[in-house]
Amino acid sequence: MRLIASDSERALQDEIRAFLAAERLDATRLPRSLEDRMEVLRDWQARCHGAGYVGRAWPREFGGGGGPASEQIVIDQELAAAGAPEFVNVVGLDVLGPSLLRFGSDEQRRRYLPAILSAEEIWCQGFSEPEAGSDLASLRTSAVERDDHFVLRGQKTWVSWGQFARWCGVLARTDETVPTHRGISMLIVDMRSPGVELRPMTQITGHAEFCELFLDDVVVPKENLLSERGDGWKIAMHTLGHERGTAALPRQVKLRTWLDRAVRLAAERTLDGERLIDDPQVQVGLARALIGIEVLRHHAYRTVGEFLNGGAVGPDSSSVKLLMAEAEQRLAATALEVLGATLQHAEPAESAENEFWYETYLYSRAATVYGGTQQIQRNIIADRVLRLPKE
Amino acid sequence: MDLELSDEQTWLGESVETLLAREWRPAAGAPYGDEAQRDRLWRALVDFGALTVGGDEGLGAIELCLIARALGTHLAPVPYLASAALRYAVEELAEGDDAFALALLEPGSGWASATPRTTIDPTAAGDVLNGRKVGLEHATAIDRLAVSASGPDGAALAIVHARAPGVALTAQPAFDATVPMGAVELAAVEVVGGPFTGEALDRLATIGALLAAAEAVGAAGRLLDDACRYAGERRQFGRTIGSFQALRHLMADMYVRQASSWSSVLYAAATLDEDAAEAGRTASIAKAYVSRAAREVAHGAMQVFGGIAVTAEHPAHRFLRRIVVREQQFGDAAHHERALGRALAADAVPEPVV
Repeated sequence: MRLIASDSERALQDEIRAFLAAERLDATRLPRSLEDRMEVLRDWQARCHGAGYVGRAWPREFGGGGGPASEQIVIDQELAAAGAPEFVNVVGLDVLGPSLLRFGSDEQRRRYLPAILSAEEIWCQGFSEPEAGSDLASLRTSAVERDDHFVLRGQKTWVSWGQFARWCGVLARTDETVPTHRGISMLIVDMRSPGVELRPMTQITGHAEFCELFLDDVVVPKENLLSERGDGWKIAMHTLGHERGTAALPRQVKLRTWLDRAVRLAAERTLDGERLIDDPQVQVGLARALIGIEVLRHHAYRTVGEFLNGGAVGPDSSSVKLLMAEAEQRLAATALEVLGATLQHAEPAESAENEFWYETYLYSRAATVYGGTQQIQRNIIADRVLRLPKE
Repeated sequence: MDLELSDEQTWLGESVETLLAREWRPAAGAPYGDEAQRDRLWRALVDFGALTVGGDEGLGAIELCLIARALGTHLAPVPYLASAALRYAVEELAEGDDAFALALLEPGSGWASATPRTTIDPTAAGDVLNGRKVGLEHATAIDRLAVSASGPDGAALAIVHARAPGVALTAQPAFDATVPMGAVELAAVEVVGGPFTGEALDRLATIGALLAAAEAVGAAGRLLDDACRYAGERRQFGRTIGSFQALRHLMADMYVRQASSWSSVLYAAATLDEDAAEAGRTASIAKAYVSRAAREVAHGAMQVFGGIAVTAEHPAHRFLRRIVVREQQFGDAAHHERALGRALAADAVPEPVV
């Protein structure tokens, strides 16, 4: 084990810090309107890609940096520590991109990967359906093969950034005659195709970052099939494991910056003349939030360590996901408890912070639902790590 | 960054497991074994090199934690924690294969006392120790005591022979029969090593917390394995109980707690081996987390076993007892959470929020 950054990692950190100092993008001051924000964020990812900070470990021929995966981790952590916004093409980078890298044809990889990295083309995923949430394998969207194309029909939901996406990775049933998960294929759908309709959904935070997607006899050329017919389930499982495993490292850094923000605020705000932070119960609450975040880091380092040294992202990514959700929810709930009555003071100078913590708290409830619920993660651990009997 | 165990470390962990499986097989109903068994086990560990600590060739904190975890897995009754921790914290004590007991606690004081009531008193014949200490492990099986005491330069650690004139050891009730406890009265006992001050005491507190946590992780891991195996065999309602989702999820949570506990201990040990500035804080995080997590795993396992785990003959309570004893040592969760919280508050610089 070696925790100290190597000389080259330290040089990379210095380089990123210099880049960030020159860029001065303030994530807390992004435009309010979603359209304007989208433009700023696309431009931000493009500039980061120009600097070599996106797809550092992806092959050079597809627009990547061809470097070791550990460099991308250093980069993601540095960016998160500086409070930089997350890359807006996150679904392309963390979900469909890795699927294309692993399962795509050379032609597909050449066509799609560079534009994912530069954020020129935004990607979304069409996995969940209104009747197929945790039970994803029961999905009913169908893709019927006709001549040189598939005809796609069905409804998808929780399609993040769908309204801005050029491409969607859709899981659809191509074979009704085999057991549920074997008849599923992954198709790359052009969001400009006739028959594609989107309806944005407003979240509890008031934002509309995801959509419902309606597919009404959408024609998808056969060359847009990823891997073979019937491989969709395998691809989705590979991809979700990947997402769970590697997303945790930048996420824990972000959580740490939020904790620091809560601690600063608790040192600044007072109730009845006492600083919030001087209350021993507040200190212990914040310490417990810190422990949750740090243990997430330690555990993600160990599981990702296996991945960096060539192992696959295995079922242990589910334990990382559980700790990540727990750390986020604990931090958000702690902040609410620590700030207490001050959240209702609503002085103009305080309202921006109050809004941030209310939003962070509300959105934290999604952490045990998205990317496979807490219960699904426990099922995965029971089945694939502990190998408990099924009956 | 390189976050995996080296091949040598993996080998060490497996070897010490094999050694314990071979050398420590107490009869059913006699978990503490007899003196000959315990001596043979201790000899085997010493011959294995488990006390070869520090320097370029010796064991570091990661290796010591691997050994401590295995001792927890097998509930081995050996004075390893103190003997290894002292060698790691105090270079001068690394030589030889003496078994040590740590005499840190005093009646009425906790783990972070800066002013022990036990004193180091200069005499014409040299320094002597006076005072009373409690919570010494394996006190009848050890060669030397490492005693925290107030000296002319503040708190320090002084070494005395366990059988020197003026040392009066008495047995204390022990919650875990495999970790017998004793108290000691020290009356003008000749100091034969130290006093060691400052950094040595901090390092001792840090490595001690990690080794205690590592043992608890080992004991919790054993309970998790046993509970999963039992859940695969025991049948109720015509099915194995391991197929019931309520228990599957309980065991999945136990797994997450146990696996992440080990990650946290390893990370903190690596931090300590690298002499990083945050080593003490990281160990506090690990100890606070493992203290609660290991006990949660034990509670979950006892729930899976059901009524049988409430009987004295079932081993579950012995693992639980070891976990609780290690939880109390070198600061429990509440102790470290308070310390971490105070540090957060002290570091907080209020800034105008934009």
